[in-house]
Amino acid sequence: MADPARIKTDSNSDKLAAGKSPKTEDSEEAPVPDADAESKDPSSQSLKHEHKQDSVAGDDDDDDDEGTSGQPVSKKLKVEPEKKKEKRQKVDEDEIQKMQVLVSSFSEEQLNRYEMYRRSAFPKAAIKRLIQSITGSSVSQNVVIAMSGISKVFAGEIVEEALDVCEKWGDTPPLQPKHMREAVRRLKSREQIPNTKHKHILFN
Amino acid sequence: MAEEEDEAGFDEDLDEGAGGTDGSHGKRKRLFSKELRCMMYGFGDDQSPYTESVDILEDLVIEFVTEMTHKAMSIGRQGRVQVEDIVFLIRKDPRKFARVKDLLTMNEELKRARKAFDEANYGS
Repeated sequence: MADPARIKTDSNSDKLAAGKSPKTEDSEEAPVPDADAESKDPSSQSLKHEHKQDSVAGDDDDDDDEGTSGQPVSKKLKVEPEKKKEKRQKVDEDEIQKMQVLVSSFSEEQLNRYEMYRRSAFPKAAIKRLIQSITGSSVSQNVVIAMSGISKVFAGEIVEEALDVCEKWGDTPPLQPKHMREAVRRLKSREQIPNTKHKHILFN
Repeated sequence: MAEEEDEAGFDEDLDEGAGGTDGSHGKRKRLFSKELRCMMYGFGDDQSPYTESVDILEDLVIEFVTEMTHKAMSIGRQGRVQVEDIVFLIRKDPRKFARVKDLLTMNEELKRARKAFDEANYGS
């Protein structure tokens, strides 16, 4: 599947526009509330591409902010979505511009790393084979897309944590297995790693 | 005990030489070695990460996919994995949730764009 932001940024110099800085930017690739001056939920914020009128996810958000004032609901429905869409478009455009400025100031090494960050992905065929070997039945393409996406985020979380550990212990990259294991241990304690093997028996 | 198992599991991977079955992590053919190397570099590691670290990460990813798949099979429509199940499972994790929404929305747009493009061609 094509890289999302690349589609809209063809007008810009290269494929790297509208991305983010290399090191820890998994959190911004899938935008997280910190970029979010208006406290919208992350899923609305993440529509940073040219089809800003896309109402697929947009409708979800409009409902969230509804109905607090005394105005009739239907009136609010008309005014709010447009205002919010404009705001969101503006925020998107700001973000895109900032990204472009940032990426244009990257050094060669940073550009390389950023390119790897955006382009690397798990092969869909292998993921599909893996899932199908577990379920025993076929799965839809969307499932494979979703699963590869979150697996990449997962890998990123581990690598980031491992880099933190590495730095904290005064070591240098490349990462060693001990860093990875400590990272896993930390993530487990934060419950970011799913584990259904250990059953907690409540009343024994 | 379960937590210790995971840690010990990593050490065993590196040491075991005897033939393994499908269930063992150590003897499975490496599925994602090349892609994971690029990914680790992209996320901040060195340009050539250690092979052992890549192996550990691959095992973790495969375990993650396995766990998610099992969980997805147990909710919603039993025995099948559907997108809604995955989205439901991931709802608490803001990063992953946003990413999945992103990807699926993008996919829809691309499909629409391709369809429109094809119809335009067909018409003319």
